[in-house]
Amino acid sequence: MKKITWLISLIVLVSLLLTACGGGAQSHLEKIKQAGVIKVGTSADYPPFEYVDENGNKAGFDIELMEEIAKRMGVKVEWVDMPFDSLIAGVQEGKIDCSISAFNYTEERDKVVDFSEAYYTAEDAFLVAETFTGSITKPEDVAQYKVGVQSGTTQDDWLTNVLQIPEQNLSRYDRADQAALDLKSGRIDVMMADAIPAKALAQKIGGLKIVYTGVLSSGPMNIVLPDGDTELAQAINDILKQLQQEGFIDQLAQKYFTE
Amino acid sequence: MTDSPYILQAKNLTKIYGENVIFKDISLDVKKGETIVIIGPSGTGKSTLLRCLNLLTPVNSGQIFLEGEEITAHGVDHDQVRQKIGMVFQNFLLFNHLTALGNVMIGLTKVKKMPTEKAKQKALHELERVGLADRAHHYPAQLSGGQQQRVAIARALAMDPLVMLFDEPTSALDPELIGEVLGVMEQLAHEHMTMLVVTHEMGFAREVADRIIFMEKGRIVEQGSPEELFEHPQHARTREFLGKISELYGKKEKK
Amino acid sequence: MINQFFAYILQGTSVTVAVTLVALPLGLILGLLFALIYNYGGFWVSRFAAVYSLVMRGVPPIALLFILYFLLSGQMVNLSPFWAGSISLGIISSAYQMEILRGALQAVGEGQMIAARAIGMTRLQAIRYIIIPQAIRLAIPPWSNEASIVLKDSSLVYAIGVPEILRRAQQLSATTQQPFLAFGAAALIYFVLVFLVNRGLDLLAEKTKLPASMA
Ligand SMILES: Nc1ncnc2c1ncn2[C@@H]1O[C@H](COP(=O)(O)OP(=O)(O)OP(=O)(O)O)[C@@H](O)[C@H]1O
Ligand SMILES: [Mg+2]
Repeated sequence: MKKITWLISLIVLVSLLLTACGGGAQSHLEKIKQAGVIKVGTSADYPPFEYVDENGNKAGFDIELMEEIAKRMGVKVEWVDMPFDSLIAGVQEGKIDCSISAFNYTEERDKVVDFSEAYYTAEDAFLVAETFTGSITKPEDVAQYKVGVQSGTTQDDWLTNVLQIPEQNLSRYDRADQAALDLKSGRIDVMMADAIPAKALAQKIGGLKIVYTGVLSSGPMNIVLPDGDTELAQAINDILKQLQQEGFIDQLAQKYFTE
Repeated sequence: MTDSPYILQAKNLTKIYGENVIFKDISLDVKKGETIVIIGPSGTGKSTLLRCLNLLTPVNSGQIFLEGEEITAHGVDHDQVRQKIGMVFQNFLLFNHLTALGNVMIGLTKVKKMPTEKAKQKALHELERVGLADRAHHYPAQLSGGQQQRVAIARALAMDPLVMLFDEPTSALDPELIGEVLGVMEQLAHEHMTMLVVTHEMGFAREVADRIIFMEKGRIVEQGSPEELFEHPQHARTREFLGKISELYGKKEKK
Repeated sequence: MINQFFAYILQGTSVTVAVTLVALPLGLILGLLFALIYNYGGFWVSRFAAVYSLVMRGVPPIALLFILYFLLSGQMVNLSPFWAGSISLGIISSAYQMEILRGALQAVGEGQMIAARAIGMTRLQAIRYIIIPQAIRLAIPPWSNEASIVLKDSSLVYAIGVPEILRRAQQLSATTQQPFLAFGAAALIYFVLVFLVNRGLDLLAEKTKLPASMA
């Protein structure tokens, strides 16, 4: 028993020494700036947030946002593509500097990593025809109507699994605009979508209105940062605030969530 | 010590496997150039004795001397000793992945570190000695039993051993193939190779052996020249065994 | 479009091949070492080899990969994802290759060792010049199987950020919503790779095959 305690303290000591030698007095942020590169993990299989376009390049809302953040930090992004489940471990163990991958805050994750301020909150909206006579005052109300949704989206997931809407009342579409057209023609009563594209669709197609907006199918999104790395968190939060004020994030949302 | 008249000497060898005493206090003196045939019933410890003599199996007590040097002493390099004692097995045990030539060469190149070309010449010479120069590039599977055993003899001879041990070299052979192997052995005897042969081939024993040893139950019962043993055996057990063996192997003896 | 699509997935092939080229020989060297100490080592070392085999065959490759990459790498040595992945797979494979070689070594037979010792070879010489050349021949067919498994398992490195064939297929499946096409392309590439490996080893087996026994 004693021997083991002794051994463990030796290992701890050695690793401390090693870290000390490698690290010096430099902070994480300083190291990133000195290297001129920030290693950012993402799981590029979640369009439109992060994906690989037909040329094999990374693209998406998160990707472009992070590139802009890095630019303002004066560094370049080195993208590290990992499956979603590996990203937290990657940040935790310092294999990547941070991760942006449409992460929502959860308490379990917060135990091992830190989160930036929310950079985007995906709001959902219920869209109806202007002639709609029913009443939707709270989200549960949609369960009594015929609902349309783009298949495979977080809204689809929410309607199916949280609201558990009967299958015969749910129509799934490949594209959001198909659903909007069916809404106008009366084949469905309500359509659920991301708030930003929903607004854009209502304008484009005409004769539609939004009856409810709220955060339902997904929460605010945050960048995942190493536990206790307040300096990096501060730097990123400051830039996020600027981007928000300048309307950069809204523009990005328009670009990626409206079609 | 070194100018001992005996090339191989065993003193009071005892071998025990677990509870089984295989043989006890066996002593044996082999003169240079002598051909000794060991006979005896199955399970008597003949094979075990041969394996002890070339240190493939350790003895429990006793000493073995090769050219007067004790090879059972501490610190003796067994691998070096085995180079000087050739062994031929009942089931040939050729290296399956090597040709006849390769089988004979490998001891020369890997153990004696002889240059390849020189080893090849020597190996071919040894194959010629056993009449198989034309089979040099055949693999064991492509050779008959008799041919395989002759390659095995050539493989042992290539190491220039001081003594050759044969453990029933013809018992696994079809009757028509026995002659060619015995022929090679007879020729070796004429060339004054020192040989210890365990065999049931009484014809060979009678004609080639300088001395015959009759072993039973881990003891040497009787030994002497072929004439002494075959014509005037001293012990009843020897007579009995010889009677049985000529009954069993009588037909083969005619060669 | 389809062309680019396929080309993107195909680029992952170099990763798959590179990981396999590290993992398989590493597994062979370790596996042979452990098979030898299992068969010829003393009591304790051979016990150790047996336990090694048991443990490594029991560990899911992904677990070892995570331990090596996320936990160990960075403490003592700094392993890139590629090396961490290749080494983990090599270690796991070594346990399977050990079992293959252990069987092959045993199948060579006691007699070959005795005959080798009888002409004065040391144990090591006998193992090297007599036992191993025969065992390797016996091991090629089952080894070919193991090679295919390592080739396919190499996709695991995507879990720590090395984008090989399968990961690229996943990405394109997400982008294009055409999983059938994306994974079909990946499967096709794997099929070709496995086919080539097996064919290659068949040829090797054919080339090194010893002549059959006389009729
Ligand atoms: N490795 C071993 N472990 C235990 N016992 C053994 C071993 N080798 C041989 N024996 C036993 O030793 C005894 C003598 O065997 P050995 O092979 O020396 O007899 P042999 O005289 O050569 O008989 P055969 O004519 O059948 O070849 C036998 O009872 C055998 O079972
Ligand atoms: Mg015997």
